[in-house]
Amino acid sequence: MLKSKKHVFWEALLVTVLIFLIGIFFGMLIETGNSNKINNFYIRSEISLTDAMANSRLLDNSNLNCESLKTKNINFADQVYEEAKLLEKYEASGKLTEGIKLLHKKYDLLRTILWINNQDSLKRCNNYNLIVYLYEYETKQVEKKATQEVWSKILLELKQRQSDILLIPIATDQNLTSLNLLLDQYQIKQFPALIINNDKILYNLESPETIQPLLN
Amino acid sequence: MEFLTILYFIYTFIAFYILMIYVLTYIQNKKQIYEIVQPNKILPLSIVIPCFNEEKTIAKNIEAFLSSDYNGLKKIIVVDDCSTDNSYNIIKQCAKKYSQVIALKTPKNTGCAAGAKNFGAKYVTTELIGFSDADSIPSKNAISQMIGFFNDIKTGGVTSRVFVSNPKNFLTRIQAIEYKIIAFTRKLLGFLDSIYVTNGPLSIYRKKAFDQVNGFDAKNMTEDIELTWHLVSKGWKIQMSIPAIVRSSPPTTIKSWFHQRIRWNVGGMQTVAKYRKKILEVGMLGYFIMPFFIMSWFLGLTGLFFLLYRLTRYIIVRYLIIKYSVAAQVALITMQDLSVSPSILFFFGIFLFTVGFAYTITAMSISKEKGFITGHPLRDIFIYSFFYLLMYPPLLIVAFYKYMRGYNTW
Repeated sequence: MLKSKKHVFWEALLVTVLIFLIGIFFGMLIETGNSNKINNFYIRSEISLTDAMANSRLLDNSNLNCESLKTKNINFADQVYEEAKLLEKYEASGKLTEGIKLLHKKYDLLRTILWINNQDSLKRCNNYNLIVYLYEYETKQVEKKATQEVWSKILLELKQRQSDILLIPIATDQNLTSLNLLLDQYQIKQFPALIINNDKILYNLESPETIQPLLN
Repeated sequence: MEFLTILYFIYTFIAFYILMIYVLTYIQNKKQIYEIVQPNKILPLSIVIPCFNEEKTIAKNIEAFLSSDYNGLKKIIVVDDCSTDNSYNIIKQCAKKYSQVIALKTPKNTGCAAGAKNFGAKYVTTELIGFSDADSIPSKNAISQMIGFFNDIKTGGVTSRVFVSNPKNFLTRIQAIEYKIIAFTRKLLGFLDSIYVTNGPLSIYRKKAFDQVNGFDAKNMTEDIELTWHLVSKGWKIQMSIPAIVRSSPPTTIKSWFHQRIRWNVGGMQTVAKYRKKILEVGMLGYFIMPFFIMSWFLGLTGLFFLLYRLTRYIIVRYLIIKYSVAAQVALITMQDLSVSPSILFFFGIFLFTVGFAYTITAMSISKEKGFITGHPLRDIFIYSFFYLLMYPPLLIVAFYKYMRGYNTW
C-alpha cells in the first residue's frame, strides 16, 4: 500500500535553499569579478587623470604644447568613455551587490574632475571642443530614458565625425558636492543637458547638426 | 536591492520549491507510480452518469461501463437532466436491453451536473459509488484498477487518469499534453495525501464518505473540487490510480475552452472561499492544498504582472528610442545595444524553466501511449510550455472578475 512521504516538504525546502544559496553565491562572485575588473580600469584612469592634471599645471608655468595636451585629454576621455560602456553593461546585470553602483559614482567624480581640469585648459589652448553631457542615472521615466539613450547615440556619432571633441558624460543624480556646485554655477536644473565649450547650454538635441554650428 | 528584484527572487523561490516537491516526490516514488493495488474483496459499486443533451455519446459511455471487467459493478444509473434531445430515449433503450442499467429523469432541469449526480446518488445502496461524465469512455479495466485503493479503510475516494480522446485539432492536441501533466502531477500529490480534485470523467467514492459530506455542492461550479476538499477536511484520503484510464472529449473551440477554464477557476475560488477557515488548521487541506492553491494563483498573477510590466516598459522605451533615432537620423541599433551581460535573475529563470521543462518531458514520457519519448511532437510540447501556460494568469483575472460579480452559469 502507498505510504505518505511528507518529509519531502522539508527536503524540497532544503534543496531549494541550497540551490538559491549556490546561485546567489555564484552571482555575487560574478558581480564582484566584474567590479574588480572595472576597479582595475578605474585605477588606471585615475592615474591618467592625475597625469593630465599635472600636465595642466605645467601649462601654467611653461609654453607646453597645446596640441599634445589636447591629444592626451581627448584620448583619456575616450578611454574613460569606453570603460563607461563596459561599466554600463555590467551595471545592467548587477542585481546583488552595490559595488558597480559605487564604481559608477567614482567614475562620475573622475569625469567631474576631468571637466574641471579642462575648463582652464580649453580657455588657454582653445584648440578642441569640450562637450559635457549631463544626464540622470536612475531615472524611471521612460521618455527621459529613451531621450538620454538617443542623445548618447547622437553624441557618439558627432564624435566619430569630428575627432577634436572631448566628450564627458556625467550622471547628475549621484550626490557629488563638486558636481552640484558646478551645476549651480551653470544654473542647470533640467536634464538631460549639454554644456558646449563651457559656454552654451542645450536642453534640446534633435540631431548631430544641432551642435555642429556651436563648435569651434 | 530593487523591489522588482526581490519580488522576482520570491517568485522564483516559491516556484522552484513547488517544482522541487514534485521532482523529489517523483524520484522517491518512481516505482510506485504504476502500482496496482489488488482488492482484498469485491466491493459492490454503482456508477451514476449525469446526462444533459448527450445523445451522441451516452450509449457509448454506458456500453463502456457494461464491458468493464470489474465483477462488483452492480448498477449503472443514468440520470437524464431533462435533455432537449433524444438522450432520455437512448438511456431508456439501454435500460430495457441491459438489466444493470437504470434510467432516471430529474423532475426538472437542475442546471448543473451536481444536481443530477445527487439525484442519482439517492438510488445507490452499494458500498461504493462512482460518477462519470456522459461523454467519457473508461477503459475496460479502469474500475478494477481503482478498487484496490479502498483496501485502506481511510480511503474516501479514488480518481482515474483522464486522456483526451482523439485529439483532432491543435487546441485538443495541446490539451492532451496538459491532461497528461495534470494526471502525473495529481499522482505525485497523491503520495503526499494532497489530491485536490477527483475528476468528473471517472471517480469512485466510499458511499459512507459521500453521504457524510452530503454529496456534491450544487452551488459550486466545480463540484468535484468541492467534494474532494470536503472529504479531505473530514479526514478521508483521496487516491489516484494511474493505470485506470478514461478518455474524455475536451473543448474543441477556443470559446468553449475559455468557458470551461473560467468555470474551473471560478469553482476553485468558490471552494477556497468556502473552506477559508480551514487554512493552516485541518491536515493536508489546511497545511498544503489550500496554501498550494492560493500560492499557484499568486505565482500566476505576480508572474503575469512582472512579465507585463517589464515587457511594456521595454517596448515603450524601444519604441521611443527608434522614434527619436529616426528623427535624429542616427543608428537605430549600436554594438552597445547588442552587447548584454545576463544577470543572475536571467540564470535563475533559465534554470527554473529547464527544470520545469524536464518535468514536463518526464510527465509526458511516463504517460506516453505511442511514439518516441513523449508520444507528442516536441513542437506541441514547446508551444504548451512557452505559450499555453501563459494563458493561465489572464484566465485567472477574468475568473476573479466573474467570481466577484457572482458568475454561476454552466
